[in-house]
Amino acid sequence: MIAVLGLIVGVVVGLFVRPVVPTVVEPYLPIAVVAALDAVFGGLRAMLDGIFDDKVFVVSFLSNVVVAALIVFLGDKLGVGAQLSTGVVVVLGIRIFSNAAAIRRHVFRA
Amino acid sequence: MSSDDTPEKSGKPEPIEEPEQQRAPEGPSGQADKGDEAEKAPQPDEAAASEKPDKPDEVSRPERPEQPDRSEQPEQPERPEPAPPEDDTPEPVTSAEEPAGAGPLTGRQRLAKGLWPPRLTRAQLIVALLLCVLGLGLAIQVRSTNDSSALRGARQEDLVRILDELDNRTKRLEDEKRRLENQQSELESSSNQAAEARKQTEQKEGQLGVLAGTVAARGPGIQLTVSDTKGKVEADMLLDAIQELRAAGAEAIQINNVRVVADTYFSGAAGRVEIDGKKVSQPYRFKVIGKPQDLEPALNIPGGVVQTLEKEQAGVAVARSEKIIVDALRPAKRPDYARSSSQ
Repeated sequence: MIAVLGLIVGVVVGLFVRPVVPTVVEPYLPIAVVAALDAVFGGLRAMLDGIFDDKVFVVSFLSNVVVAALIVFLGDKLGVGAQLSTGVVVVLGIRIFSNAAAIRRHVFRA
Repeated sequence: MSSDDTPEKSGKPEPIEEPEQQRAPEGPSGQADKGDEAEKAPQPDEAAASEKPDKPDEVSRPERPEQPDRSEQPEQPERPEPAPPEDDTPEPVTSAEEPAGAGPLTGRQRLAKGLWPPRLTRAQLIVALLLCVLGLGLAIQVRSTNDSSALRGARQEDLVRILDELDNRTKRLEDEKRRLENQQSELESSSNQAAEARKQTEQKEGQLGVLAGTVAARGPGIQLTVSDTKGKVEADMLLDAIQELRAAGAEAIQINNVRVVADTYFSGAAGRVEIDGKKVSQPYRFKVIGKPQDLEPALNIPGGVVQTLEKEQAGVAVARSEKIIVDALRPAKRPDYARSSSQ
Protein backbone atom coordinates (compact mmCIF):
# COMPACT_ATOMS: atom_id res chain seq x y z
CA MET A 1 0.00 0.00 0.00
CA ILE A 2 2.68 2.41 0.98
CA ALA A 3 4.63 1.30 -2.09
CA VAL A 4 1.70 2.17 -4.33
CA LEU A 5 1.40 5.50 -2.56
CA GLY A 6 5.08 6.07 -3.23
CA LEU A 7 4.57 5.45 -6.92
CA ILE A 8 1.65 7.84 -7.05
CA VAL A 9 3.55 10.50 -5.14
CA GLY A 10 6.47 10.14 -7.53
CA VAL A 11 4.28 10.54 -10.61
CA VAL A 12 2.48 13.52 -9.15
CA VAL A 13 5.69 15.21 -8.12
CA GLY A 14 7.20 14.57 -11.52
CA LEU A 15 4.18 15.98 -13.29
CA PHE A 16 3.75 19.09 -11.25
CA VAL A 17 7.20 20.10 -10.10
CA ARG A 18 8.80 19.71 -13.54
CA PRO A 19 12.25 18.91 -12.24
CA VAL A 20 15.08 19.73 -14.59
CA VAL A 21 17.03 16.68 -15.61
CA PRO A 22 20.73 17.23 -16.16
CA THR A 23 21.51 16.82 -19.82
CA VAL A 24 24.15 14.23 -19.09
CA VAL A 25 21.55 11.90 -17.62
CA GLU A 26 18.81 12.71 -20.09
CA PRO A 27 19.56 10.10 -22.78
CA TYR A 28 19.67 7.32 -20.18
CA LEU A 29 16.46 8.20 -18.40
CA PRO A 30 14.05 6.31 -20.67
CA ILE A 31 16.14 3.14 -20.58
CA ALA A 32 16.55 3.44 -16.83
CA VAL A 33 12.81 3.84 -16.44
CA VAL A 34 12.16 0.73 -18.49
CA ALA A 35 14.74 -1.22 -16.48
CA ALA A 36 13.16 -0.04 -13.24
CA LEU A 37 9.77 -1.10 -14.53
CA ASP A 38 11.19 -4.52 -15.18
CA ALA A 39 12.51 -4.68 -11.64
CA VAL A 40 9.16 -3.57 -10.27
CA PHE A 41 7.30 -6.22 -12.20
CA GLY A 42 9.80 -8.81 -11.05
CA GLY A 43 9.30 -7.66 -7.49
CA LEU A 44 5.54 -7.77 -7.80
CA ARG A 45 5.74 -11.26 -9.13
CA ALA A 46 8.08 -12.29 -6.36
CA MET A 47 5.66 -10.87 -3.86
CA LEU A 48 2.83 -12.88 -5.37
CA ASP A 49 5.08 -15.91 -5.29
CA GLY A 50 5.75 -15.17 -1.67
CA ILE A 51 9.47 -14.87 -2.14
CA PHE A 52 9.71 -11.14 -2.02
CA ASP A 53 12.75 -9.77 -0.29
CA ASP A 54 13.27 -6.04 0.00
CA LYS A 55 17.02 -6.35 -0.15
CA VAL A 56 16.86 -8.30 -3.37
CA PHE A 57 14.38 -5.84 -4.74
CA VAL A 58 16.56 -2.84 -3.96
CA VAL A 59 19.63 -4.51 -5.40
CA SER A 60 17.86 -5.68 -8.52
CA PHE A 61 16.20 -2.31 -9.03
CA LEU A 62 19.43 -0.37 -8.74
CA SER A 63 21.51 -2.86 -10.68
CA ASN A 64 18.91 -3.00 -13.45
CA VAL A 65 18.92 0.76 -13.78
CA VAL A 66 22.70 1.03 -13.61
CA VAL A 67 23.34 -1.82 -16.02
CA ALA A 68 20.81 -0.55 -18.52
CA ALA A 69 22.23 2.94 -18.42
CA LEU A 70 25.73 1.51 -18.65
CA ILE A 71 24.87 -0.52 -21.72
CA VAL A 72 23.41 2.51 -23.43
CA PHE A 73 26.37 4.62 -22.40
CA LEU A 74 28.73 2.01 -23.76
CA GLY A 75 26.69 1.81 -26.94
CA ASP A 76 26.91 5.57 -27.32
CA LYS A 77 30.65 5.40 -26.94
CA LEU A 78 30.87 2.58 -29.47
CA GLY A 79 28.57 4.34 -31.89
CA VAL A 80 25.81 1.75 -31.70
CA GLY A 81 23.80 3.51 -29.00
CA ALA A 82 20.51 3.45 -30.87
CA GLN A 83 20.75 -0.24 -31.70
CA LEU A 84 21.88 -1.21 -28.22
CA SER A 85 19.15 0.74 -26.52
CA THR A 86 16.64 -0.92 -28.83
CA GLY A 87 18.06 -4.28 -27.81
CA VAL A 88 17.87 -3.42 -24.14
CA VAL A 89 14.28 -2.27 -24.50
CA VAL A 90 13.40 -5.47 -26.33
CA VAL A 91 14.96 -7.69 -23.68
CA LEU A 92 13.38 -5.77 -20.84
CA GLY A 93 10.07 -5.81 -22.66
CA ILE A 94 10.18 -9.57 -22.98
CA ARG A 95 10.92 -9.90 -19.28
CA ILE A 96 8.17 -7.51 -18.36
CA PHE A 97 5.76 -9.50 -20.44
CA SER A 98 6.69 -12.82 -18.89
CA ASN A 99 6.51 -11.33 -15.42
CA ALA A 100 3.16 -9.83 -16.27
CA ALA A 101 2.01 -13.26 -17.42
CA ALA A 102 3.00 -14.79 -14.09
CA ILE A 103 1.30 -11.99 -12.19
CA ARG A 104 -1.80 -12.43 -14.25
CA ARG A 105 -1.81 -16.12 -13.48
CA HIS A 106 -1.66 -15.31 -9.80
CA VAL A 107 -4.25 -12.62 -9.79
CA PHE A 108 -6.78 -13.97 -12.24
CA ARG A 109 -5.87 -17.62 -12.05
CA ALA A 110 -5.83 -17.73 -15.80
CA MET B 1 16.87 -23.92 -15.46
CA SER B 2 17.07 -26.26 -12.59
CA SER B 3 19.53 -24.01 -10.90
CA ASP B 4 16.92 -21.28 -11.16
CA ASP B 5 14.23 -23.55 -9.97
CA THR B 6 15.96 -24.07 -6.73
CA PRO B 7 15.90 -20.44 -5.74
CA GLU B 8 12.28 -20.39 -6.75
CA LYS B 9 11.48 -23.29 -4.51
CA SER B 10 14.02 -22.45 -1.90
CA GLY B 11 12.45 -19.02 -1.93
CA LYS B 12 9.22 -20.50 -0.78
CA PRO B 13 10.43 -21.00 2.71
CA GLU B 14 11.19 -17.28 2.66
CA PRO B 15 8.24 -16.41 4.87
CA ILE B 16 9.51 -19.21 6.93
CA GLU B 17 8.20 -17.83 10.21
CA GLU B 18 4.62 -18.57 9.27
CA PRO B 19 5.04 -21.45 6.88
CA GLU B 20 6.32 -23.45 9.81
CA GLN B 21 2.73 -23.84 10.73
CA GLN B 22 1.51 -23.73 7.18
CA ARG B 23 3.62 -26.63 6.20
CA ALA B 24 2.02 -28.73 8.86
CA PRO B 25 -1.35 -29.05 7.19
CA GLU B 26 0.44 -29.66 3.98
CA GLY B 27 0.74 -33.31 4.63
CA PRO B 28 -2.94 -33.90 5.13
CA SER B 29 -4.12 -31.52 2.46
CA GLY B 30 -1.45 -32.55 0.08
CA GLN B 31 -3.92 -32.32 -2.71
CA ALA B 32 -4.42 -28.66 -1.96
CA ASP B 33 -0.76 -28.11 -2.46
CA LYS B 34 -1.10 -30.08 -5.61
CA GLY B 35 -3.58 -27.55 -6.85
CA ASP B 36 -1.06 -24.83 -6.29
CA GLU B 37 1.61 -26.92 -7.79
CA ALA B 38 -0.39 -27.61 -10.90
CA GLU B 39 -0.86 -23.95 -11.41
CA LYS B 40 2.65 -23.03 -10.68
CA ALA B 41 4.03 -25.79 -12.79
CA PRO B 42 4.42 -23.66 -15.90
CA GLN B 43 5.87 -20.83 -13.94
CA PRO B 44 9.33 -21.94 -13.06
CA ASP B 45 10.25 -21.73 -16.72
CA GLU B 46 9.27 -18.13 -16.83
CA ALA B 47 10.74 -17.60 -13.47
CA ALA B 48 13.99 -18.83 -14.83
CA ALA B 49 13.80 -16.26 -17.57
CA SER B 50 12.29 -13.43 -15.68
CA GLU B 51 13.62 -13.75 -12.20
CA LYS B 52 17.20 -13.08 -13.09
CA PRO B 53 17.36 -9.91 -11.08
CA ASP B 54 16.40 -12.14 -8.21
CA LYS B 55 19.33 -14.35 -8.76
CA PRO B 56 21.01 -12.83 -5.77
CA ASP B 57 18.45 -14.98 -4.06
CA GLU B 58 20.81 -17.82 -4.49
CA VAL B 59 23.40 -15.93 -2.57
CA SER B 60 21.29 -14.31 0.04
CA ARG B 61 18.76 -17.01 0.66
CA PRO B 62 20.83 -20.01 1.48
CA GLU B 63 22.58 -18.06 4.21
CA ARG B 64 19.47 -17.55 6.20
CA PRO B 65 17.17 -20.47 5.85
CA GLU B 66 19.71 -23.12 5.28
CA GLN B 67 17.93 -25.54 7.44
CA PRO B 68 14.51 -25.32 5.92
CA ASP B 69 16.13 -25.35 2.56
CA ARG B 70 17.38 -28.78 3.07
CA SER B 71 14.24 -29.90 4.75
CA GLU B 72 12.25 -28.44 1.90
CA GLN B 73 14.13 -29.95 -0.94
CA PRO B 74 13.56 -33.47 0.12
CA GLU B 75 9.95 -32.51 0.44
CA GLN B 76 9.61 -31.55 -3.14
CA PRO B 77 10.19 -34.92 -4.65
CA GLU B 78 7.72 -36.21 -2.17
CA ARG B 79 4.96 -33.94 -3.23
CA PRO B 80 4.56 -35.14 -6.76
CA GLU B 81 4.40 -38.69 -5.49
CA PRO B 82 1.32 -38.33 -3.40
CA ALA B 83 -0.13 -36.14 -6.04
CA PRO B 84 -0.64 -38.57 -8.91
CA PRO B 85 -3.06 -40.80 -7.05
CA GLU B 86 -5.05 -37.75 -6.05
CA ASP B 87 -5.00 -36.42 -9.55
CA ASP B 88 -8.38 -37.97 -10.25
CA THR B 89 -10.02 -35.65 -7.75
CA PRO B 90 -11.21 -32.90 -10.02
CA GLU B 91 -11.32 -30.22 -7.40
CA PRO B 92 -7.91 -28.78 -7.09
CA VAL B 93 -9.04 -25.23 -7.50
CA THR B 94 -11.74 -25.23 -4.88
CA SER B 95 -9.61 -27.12 -2.50
CA ALA B 96 -6.83 -24.66 -3.09
CA GLU B 97 -8.98 -21.93 -1.68
CA GLU B 98 -10.10 -23.79 1.34
CA PRO B 99 -6.77 -24.12 3.02
CA ALA B 100 -5.99 -20.53 2.20
CA GLY B 101 -6.41 -19.52 5.77
CA ALA B 102 -4.09 -22.13 7.03
CA GLY B 103 -2.17 -23.36 4.01
CA PRO B 104 0.26 -21.39 1.83
CA LEU B 105 -1.26 -18.15 0.69
CA THR B 106 -2.21 -17.79 -2.91
CA GLY B 107 -0.78 -14.92 -4.90
CA ARG B 108 -4.03 -13.11 -4.76
CA GLN B 109 -4.23 -13.33 -1.05
CA ARG B 110 -0.69 -12.17 -0.67
CA LEU B 111 -1.48 -9.19 -2.86
CA ALA B 112 -4.55 -8.33 -0.86
CA LYS B 113 -2.66 -8.78 2.35
CA GLY B 114 0.15 -6.57 1.17
CA LEU B 115 -2.26 -3.95 -0.06
CA TRP B 116 -4.79 -3.48 2.57
CA PRO B 117 -3.58 -3.19 6.09
CA PRO B 118 -0.95 -0.59 5.31
CA ARG B 119 1.97 -1.62 7.43
CA LEU B 120 4.88 0.69 7.93
CA THR B 121 7.66 -1.80 7.54
CA ARG B 122 11.16 -1.20 6.34
CA ALA B 123 10.51 -3.17 3.17
CA GLN B 124 7.42 -1.15 2.36
CA LEU B 125 9.25 2.11 2.92
CA ILE B 126 12.18 1.13 0.76
CA VAL B 127 9.96 -0.12 -2.01
CA ALA B 128 7.90 3.04 -1.74
CA LEU B 129 11.04 5.11 -2.08
CA LEU B 130 12.20 3.22 -5.14
CA LEU B 131 8.77 3.33 -6.71
CA CYS B 132 8.67 7.03 -6.02
CA VAL B 133 11.92 7.39 -7.91
CA LEU B 134 10.50 5.28 -10.71
CA GLY B 135 7.33 7.36 -10.87
CA LEU B 136 9.39 10.50 -10.92
CA GLY B 137 11.50 9.24 -13.79
CA LEU B 138 8.43 8.03 -15.61
CA ALA B 139 6.66 11.35 -15.24
CA ILE B 140 9.70 13.34 -16.26
CA GLN B 141 10.24 11.18 -19.29
CA VAL B 142 6.62 11.27 -20.36
CA ARG B 143 6.57 15.00 -19.84
CA SER B 144 9.74 15.67 -21.76
CA THR B 145 8.60 13.42 -24.58
CA ASN B 146 5.24 15.10 -24.70
CA ASP B 147 5.81 18.75 -24.20
CA SER B 148 8.44 19.53 -26.73
CA SER B 149 9.58 18.64 -30.17
CA ALA B 150 11.08 15.34 -31.17
CA LEU B 151 14.50 16.91 -30.79
CA ARG B 152 14.35 16.81 -27.04
CA GLY B 153 14.62 13.08 -26.72
CA ALA B 154 17.06 12.78 -29.58
CA ARG B 155 20.52 11.44 -29.00
CA GLN B 156 23.59 13.54 -29.40
CA GLU B 157 24.71 11.95 -32.64
CA ASP B 158 21.24 12.30 -34.11
CA LEU B 159 21.21 15.94 -33.13
CA VAL B 160 24.60 16.45 -34.73
CA ARG B 161 23.36 14.75 -37.87
CA ILE B 162 20.23 16.85 -37.96
CA LEU B 163 22.28 19.97 -37.42
CA ASP B 164 24.58 18.99 -40.25
CA GLU B 165 21.68 18.38 -42.53
CA LEU B 166 20.19 21.73 -41.66
CA ASP B 167 23.52 23.44 -42.27
CA ASN B 168 23.86 21.79 -45.63
CA ARG B 169 20.35 22.71 -46.51
CA THR B 170 20.90 26.29 -45.49
CA LYS B 171 24.05 26.44 -47.58
CA ARG B 172 22.30 24.95 -50.57
CA LEU B 173 19.42 27.36 -50.26
CA GLU B 174 21.76 30.32 -49.88
CA ASP B 175 23.66 29.25 -52.96
CA GLU B 176 20.45 29.01 -54.85
CA LYS B 177 19.37 32.40 -53.58
CA ARG B 178 22.63 33.97 -54.69
CA ARG B 179 22.33 32.34 -58.08
CA LEU B 180 18.79 33.58 -58.50
CA GLU B 181 19.74 37.07 -57.41
CA ASN B 182 22.54 37.13 -59.95
CA GLN B 183 20.12 35.97 -62.57
CA GLN B 184 17.65 38.65 -61.56
CA SER B 185 20.20 41.44 -61.76
CA GLU B 186 21.40 40.10 -65.08
CA LEU B 187 17.91 40.07 -66.44
CA GLU B 188 17.24 43.53 -65.10
CA SER B 189 20.37 44.95 -66.65
CA SER B 190 19.71 43.17 -69.89
CA SER B 191 16.16 44.43 -69.97
CA ASN B 192 17.52 47.91 -69.24
CA GLN B 193 19.92 47.46 -72.09
CA ALA B 194 17.16 46.22 -74.27
CA ALA B 195 15.00 49.22 -73.42
CA GLU B 196 17.94 51.54 -74.11
CA ALA B 197 18.62 49.81 -77.38
CA ARG B 198 15.01 50.05 -78.35
CA LYS B 199 14.95 53.75 -77.54
CA GLN B 200 18.02 54.33 -79.67
CA THR B 201 16.56 52.22 -82.42
CA GLU B 202 13.36 54.21 -82.35
CA GLN B 203 15.31 57.46 -82.51
CA LYS B 204 17.32 56.17 -85.39
CA GLU B 205 14.21 54.91 -87.09
CA GLY B 206 12.74 58.40 -86.86
CA GLN B 207 15.86 59.98 -88.31
CA LEU B 208 16.11 57.47 -91.08
CA GLY B 209 12.40 57.73 -91.71
CA VAL B 210 12.74 61.47 -92.22
CA LEU B 211 15.60 60.88 -94.63
CA ALA B 212 13.82 58.10 -96.49
CA GLY B 213 10.55 59.95 -96.54
CA THR B 214 8.56 57.28 -94.78
CA VAL B 215 7.51 59.56 -91.90
CA ALA B 216 6.15 63.06 -91.83
CA ALA B 217 8.48 65.79 -90.60
CA ARG B 218 7.99 69.26 -89.27
CA GLY B 219 10.13 72.08 -88.14
CA PRO B 220 11.31 75.55 -89.16
CA GLY B 221 12.03 76.15 -92.79
CA ILE B 222 10.88 78.02 -95.86
CA GLN B 223 8.19 77.75 -98.44
CA LEU B 224 9.20 78.40 -102.03
CA THR B 225 6.46 78.88 -104.57
CA VAL B 226 7.29 78.86 -108.27
CA SER B 227 4.38 79.81 -110.47
CA ASP B 228 4.99 78.96 -114.09
CA THR B 229 2.04 80.22 -116.00
CA LYS B 230 3.91 80.17 -119.29
CA GLY B 231 5.19 76.66 -118.99
CA LYS B 232 8.80 77.52 -119.24
CA VAL B 233 10.19 75.94 -116.11
CA GLU B 234 12.02 72.78 -116.90
CA ALA B 235 12.86 69.83 -114.79
CA ASP B 236 16.52 70.72 -114.45
CA MET B 237 15.59 74.09 -113.00
CA LEU B 238 13.62 72.39 -110.29
CA LEU B 239 16.53 70.06 -109.80
CA ASP B 240 18.86 73.01 -109.46
CA ALA B 241 16.58 74.45 -106.83
CA ILE B 242 16.64 71.15 -104.96
CA GLN B 243 20.44 70.97 -105.17
CA GLU B 244 20.76 74.49 -103.91
CA LEU B 245 18.45 73.79 -101.01
CA ARG B 246 20.32 70.61 -100.12
CA ALA B 247 23.60 72.44 -100.25
CA ALA B 248 22.13 74.94 -97.82
CA GLY B 249 21.24 72.21 -95.40
CA ALA B 250 17.67 71.28 -96.21
CA GLU B 251 16.62 68.19 -94.32
CA ALA B 252 13.20 67.37 -95.73
CA ILE B 253 11.72 68.62 -98.96
CA GLN B 254 8.43 68.10 -100.65
CA ILE B 255 7.20 69.53 -103.93
CA ASN B 256 3.44 69.73 -104.11
CA ASN B 257 2.55 66.22 -102.99
CA VAL B 258 5.77 64.46 -103.76
CA ARG B 259 8.42 63.86 -101.16
CA VAL B 260 11.90 64.49 -102.40
CA VAL B 261 14.36 61.87 -101.23
CA ALA B 262 17.67 60.38 -102.27
CA ASP B 263 16.37 58.52 -105.32
CA THR B 264 13.99 61.19 -106.51
CA TYR B 265 14.32 61.90 -110.17
CA PHE B 266 12.96 64.64 -112.44
CA SER B 267 11.79 64.03 -115.94
CA GLY B 268 9.54 65.53 -118.57
CA ALA B 269 9.67 68.65 -120.68
CA ALA B 270 8.94 72.17 -119.61
CA GLY B 271 5.41 72.60 -118.38
CA ARG B 272 4.94 68.85 -117.98
CA VAL B 273 7.44 68.07 -115.33
CA GLU B 274 7.25 64.71 -113.64
CA ILE B 275 8.86 63.93 -110.31
CA ASP B 276 9.36 60.24 -109.58
CA GLY B 277 7.07 59.51 -112.47
CA LYS B 278 4.24 61.61 -111.03
CA LYS B 279 3.04 64.55 -112.96
CA VAL B 280 3.43 67.79 -111.06
CA SER B 281 1.57 70.87 -112.22
CA GLN B 282 2.41 74.47 -111.52
CA PRO B 283 2.58 76.30 -109.21
CA TYR B 284 5.33 74.27 -107.69
CA ARG B 285 5.23 74.62 -103.95
CA PHE B 286 8.42 73.61 -102.18
CA LYS B 287 8.12 72.92 -98.50
CA VAL B 288 11.62 72.76 -97.09
CA ILE B 289 12.69 72.09 -93.52
CA GLY B 290 16.05 73.48 -92.55
CA LYS B 291 17.59 76.59 -91.16
CA PRO B 292 15.58 79.42 -92.75
CA GLN B 293 18.46 81.89 -92.38
CA ASP B 294 20.62 79.63 -94.52
CA LEU B 295 18.01 78.50 -97.00
CA GLU B 296 16.61 81.82 -98.04
CA PRO B 297 19.97 83.48 -98.89
CA ALA B 298 21.01 80.32 -100.69
CA LEU B 299 18.05 80.79 -103.06
CA ASN B 300 18.48 84.50 -103.40
CA ILE B 301 22.18 84.71 -104.20
CA PRO B 302 22.93 86.61 -107.43
CA GLY B 303 22.79 84.27 -110.38
CA GLY B 304 21.13 81.74 -108.16
CA VAL B 305 17.91 79.84 -108.36
CA VAL B 306 15.53 82.73 -107.93
CA GLN B 307 17.21 84.86 -110.51
CA THR B 308 17.43 82.02 -113.00
CA LEU B 309 13.75 81.26 -112.60
CA GLU B 310 12.75 84.89 -112.87
CA LYS B 311 14.71 85.05 -116.06
CA GLU B 312 12.37 82.43 -117.40
CA GLN B 313 9.47 84.64 -116.38
CA ALA B 314 8.33 82.47 -113.61
CA GLY B 315 6.95 83.93 -110.43
CA VAL B 316 9.01 83.07 -107.40
CA ALA B 317 8.06 83.68 -103.80
CA VAL B 318 10.10 82.66 -100.78
CA ALA B 319 8.56 82.77 -97.32
CA ARG B 320 10.21 81.85 -94.07
CA SER B 321 8.16 79.91 -91.59
CA GLU B 322 8.78 78.56 -88.13
CA LYS B 323 6.43 75.71 -88.73
CA ILE B 324 6.71 73.81 -91.94
CA ILE B 325 5.03 70.44 -92.16
CA VAL B 326 6.32 67.95 -94.68
CA ASP B 327 3.64 65.30 -94.76
CA ALA B 328 3.98 63.71 -98.17
CA LEU B 329 5.16 60.15 -97.67
CA ARG B 330 6.89 57.51 -99.69
CA PRO B 331 6.51 53.85 -99.13
CA ALA B 332 9.51 52.18 -97.59
CA LYS B 333 11.21 50.22 -100.28
CA ARG B 334 13.34 47.23 -99.62
CA PRO B 335 16.38 47.23 -101.84
CA ASP B 336 16.59 44.18 -104.07
CA TYR B 337 20.34 44.05 -104.50
CA ALA B 338 22.05 46.37 -102.12
CA ARG B 339 22.81 44.85 -98.75
CA SER B 340 24.38 46.44 -95.76
CA SER B 341 28.00 45.47 -95.71
CA SER B 342 28.24 45.85 -91.98
CA GLN B 343 26.23 42.72 -91.32
